[in-house]
Amino acid sequence: MSAQSMKIKLKIWRQADNNSKGAMQDYNLDNVSPDMSFLEMLDLLNENLINSGSDPVAFDHDCREGICGMCSLMINGEAHGPQKLTTTCQLHMRSFKDGDTIIIEPFRAKAFPVHKDLMVDRTAFDEIIAAGGFVSMNAGNAPDGNAIPIGKETAELAMDAAACIGCGACVASCENASAMLFTSAKLSQLALLPQGKAEAKERALGMVKKMDELGFGNCTNAAECEASCPKGIELSNIARMNREFFKSALSNK
Amino acid sequence: MASQACTSGICGYLCSSIGKKQLMGVTAFLLIGFLKAHLLGNFLLLLGPAAFNEYGHKLMSLGPLLIIAEIILLAIFLTHLVLAISLVWQNRKARPVKYYSKQRTGRGATFASNTMPYTGIVILIFICLHLWCFKYGTYYEFDLDGIIVRDLYRTVIEYFANPFYTAWYVLAMIAMGIHLSHGVQSAFQSVGFRHARYTPLIKKLGCALSLFLTVGFSGLSIYGYYISTTLNY
Amino acid sequence: MSKLDSKVPGGKLEDKWEQYKFDMKLVNPSNKRKFNVIVVGTGLAGASAASTMAELGYNVQSFCIQDSPRRAHSIAAQGGINAAKNYPNDGDSVWRLFYDTIKGGDYRSREANVYRLAQVANNIIDQCVAQGVPFAREYGGYLANRSFGGAQVSRTFYARGQTGQQLLLGAYSSMMRMVAKGKIKLHTRREMTELVVINGQARGIVVRNIITGELETYHADAVILATGGYGNAYYLSTNAMASNSSGAWQAYKKGAMFANACFTQIHPTCIPVHGENQSKLTLMSESLRNDGRVWVPKKQGDTRKPNDIPESERDYYLERIYPSFGNLVPRDVASRNAKLQVDGGRGVGSTGVAVYLDFADAIARDGEDTIRGRYGNLFEMYQRITDESPYKSPMRIYPAVHYTMGGVWVDYNLMTTVPGLHVLGEANFSDHGANRLGASALMQGLADGYFVIPYTIGNYFASNVIDQSITTDHSAYKDALQSTKLRLNGLLETKGSQSVESIHKKLGKIMWEHVGMSRNADSLQTGIDKIKKLQEEFKQDVNVPGSNKGINTELEKAIRVSDFLEIGELMARDALTRDESCGGHFRDEFQTEEGEARRDDDKFTHVAAWEYNGEGKDPIRNVENLEFENVKLTTRSYK
Repeated sequence: MSAQSMKIKLKIWRQADNNSKGAMQDYNLDNVSPDMSFLEMLDLLNENLINSGSDPVAFDHDCREGICGMCSLMINGEAHGPQKLTTTCQLHMRSFKDGDTIIIEPFRAKAFPVHKDLMVDRTAFDEIIAAGGFVSMNAGNAPDGNAIPIGKETAELAMDAAACIGCGACVASCENASAMLFTSAKLSQLALLPQGKAEAKERALGMVKKMDELGFGNCTNAAECEASCPKGIELSNIARMNREFFKSALSNK
Repeated sequence: MASQACTSGICGYLCSSIGKKQLMGVTAFLLIGFLKAHLLGNFLLLLGPAAFNEYGHKLMSLGPLLIIAEIILLAIFLTHLVLAISLVWQNRKARPVKYYSKQRTGRGATFASNTMPYTGIVILIFICLHLWCFKYGTYYEFDLDGIIVRDLYRTVIEYFANPFYTAWYVLAMIAMGIHLSHGVQSAFQSVGFRHARYTPLIKKLGCALSLFLTVGFSGLSIYGYYISTTLNY
Repeated sequence: MSKLDSKVPGGKLEDKWEQYKFDMKLVNPSNKRKFNVIVVGTGLAGASAASTMAELGYNVQSFCIQDSPRRAHSIAAQGGINAAKNYPNDGDSVWRLFYDTIKGGDYRSREANVYRLAQVANNIIDQCVAQGVPFAREYGGYLANRSFGGAQVSRTFYARGQTGQQLLLGAYSSMMRMVAKGKIKLHTRREMTELVVINGQARGIVVRNIITGELETYHADAVILATGGYGNAYYLSTNAMASNSSGAWQAYKKGAMFANACFTQIHPTCIPVHGENQSKLTLMSESLRNDGRVWVPKKQGDTRKPNDIPESERDYYLERIYPSFGNLVPRDVASRNAKLQVDGGRGVGSTGVAVYLDFADAIARDGEDTIRGRYGNLFEMYQRITDESPYKSPMRIYPAVHYTMGGVWVDYNLMTTVPGLHVLGEANFSDHGANRLGASALMQGLADGYFVIPYTIGNYFASNVIDQSITTDHSAYKDALQSTKLRLNGLLETKGSQSVESIHKKLGKIMWEHVGMSRNADSLQTGIDKIKKLQEEFKQDVNVPGSNKGINTELEKAIRVSDFLEIGELMARDALTRDESCGGHFRDEFQTEEGEARRDDDKFTHVAAWEYNGEGKDPIRNVENLEFENVKLTTRSYK
């Protein structure tokens, strides 16, 4: 454990609310320990801001263990910062050097309007799920869990896709602000499993249509989404969605 | 964004983000097929004026079939172009406020993928010029075993005699190569083909094909420049 | 008769729930749409309850503090979910799951509730599989099980280390389906500030819209709270940053009793605190103790690097004290012993508040690759946080607050002492007694939401007169709005010198020191005094910047902390009055000669349910006696 403290320069996007214009603002922060998480560094900044009578920086965060998908942030131009397969809350200050300037911006997309500062509205993702990201079954006496065997490989693939935390890094890092990786992850999970097959067509059509309506961009297969995904969701899910959608659209009346 | 009018069936498909991408991919495959055929024809330049002009004559003598083929090709090209414009337009709108600082992760996007619209524009300009220069360029006559045919060979060599033209031609071909180096694998992904084993292979083959087409076309243009110094039209 | 009627139905334990389901009054399908239900919280319990009730036809209004229901803290549960499917053919049964759970809870939970939990557990697995939850499978395609938390059978279903996430996403997807159908109205980024009780029935809530800052009122025919536990009273815990007890606490202030507040679970294997700015603690799976050896240096204040301390100067204290269970003693025993070592000055690391968990022997025995296969992802997570490789030097671990077994008192119907107010999941006290077993929390949350409340809510509607002419124009809403306004303005106008966070940290330290892993009467009394002083400090000196317009994260925290300050006091009071050691509650005065917990079954085989008695007055302790007709009370021993 290194104990020496660092001095950090911060450039942070400040925006009072959705209707206001925002701007980058500079801050200096001393006594940053390399063992702090990135969000603890922001906590420290906020503590200083509060004590000096200024408005603290609003940012989203909750579980701080990399699973809830609440934290976001573009850090030096990368979604969730420079470390691979890591959410912002799991990023630590030892990834930076004393004297570094860190640029922090919100995730940007038309479909993710800024609430305040670094906080954005990602409810568009919920709308995509509501458009078909489920199996239509009512709670009650479902058939026995072992009634339909599911091959281990299929189950693992479905789990790979299901690991998505819905943070929106894929949208943020995509040159086109496309939500294909997010949408395809849920679509893939349910397309792979026998439980999801019955309504695969309606799901593919519904989710893609909703995704398009919400104003996300298109996929140019550049794979920035895959590269910045903290959970390693793969591009093969988008390919699967492309197939599913093609099948569904052409068989649709 | 899907317009509200088209919601289902083919229309819905064509209005959707994925439908457009897939059509982009399919038209890309067809255009690449055309490019390969075009290059093979161009190789006849190496065999001299007779071979090249005979090839040109045979194509021309297809008559209405050729016109139909040209119309289809134009339709494919325009589809690719219109879809590209529509997708780029939507993509720009999807992020109205740009980032103050945006870095590529280095693990995903490449120079090629980021510059698709720009290399595309270069190719578009190139094609317009290309048609103007060659298809609708000077008509020389050539005596092919008694039959008078167009001496396209001469037109070609005359253009390449200009080093600036040849340089532009080579640059445009490099742009095309860059476009295709992302385009080939992207088209496979868009139509839904991705496989742990084959996708890396497709990526390599895509790059190899791009290289082949770039080197082939631009090599022939440099050859043309070289020939022009030996001929005296 | 006490004020607490558990409403446990008669009959044989095995038949109670089936018979009761038959005896309950039903709401006819076309009438269900006439009833409105408010569900606060969208974790496993809240999301499953909201979706299931909407499926039945009720109109549901769902509230959560995050931007999406999918982010509730159930998502962070790693290990798994128990069920008595007996797929591995190792002798599991509903009865055994029931017995393990009630024994694990140190005989401080209701037999009938726990039995019902064990009964519906199997349905949960079926339900989740049907939803498309990608549980781990064997090569043959059948569901895989693993053993967990000291159970002698393999009954835990899991989805990698993300079981909570997958179960929650399953419930969330069902919920979103109902949102699309218009049967659930979703209100995200809302924080409940008050419960509205009209004519003695819970009818609505006041919430603060976190984005606009506006106060909003919502009215319904019943209110369901699934707001989670109160572990964040300790400031540092494995809970999420926004996890709070405010919903439950406001219910308490409106007459719902709060039971067994002192039962908190401290998880032994967490990454230790590294400094003053730390905001949360991260859990490392308990499975690490299968191969890791826990030790501290024999010498006090030994500052040598762990690898420089020779074998002869290390104390593998768990193996020494508990030769038969060794490093695998239950959570509470492992936690308490770590604290004893640290208190004795033998703690390790820069802060001296940690013990080693050493894999050197396991690596030497099985090879680094085998260990990587078993714990690779955990080791990576540890390294990411601490910058140390557990392959090279021992991990440093320390216990951390993880779960609260106590909560709002509910009867067999999951209804509180306020008619119409139901509480589900971790927020209620019902099924885990004094200690929760691993992989049981997910089971309880989903059991409550999918399979209990959908039945009992109908019974409530069918057997009570609910005045449906009332709207949010009722004066009770105006009063509630007014009191919330006053409260928020009070916080904003104090303009003191201490940030909310700094006071929360102070509370956390008091709680950890006085109401932590082991407690005693003197220390608890001191703790209560200190908390009361801190409550005053908060009132006089808190600094909440900004206004009640728009996003004000400090105001959000201030509301939560003001409730934690009060719940902390109740936890200490409850601990002080429970003169025995059981489960997660260890009183120094009540231990055996060997230093083990000593229950007092004669005096304390009961639930202590605290009743709010007005501002500034001591709460009243009510008692619900626990009858054990089917199991014999035994003492746990791990020597």
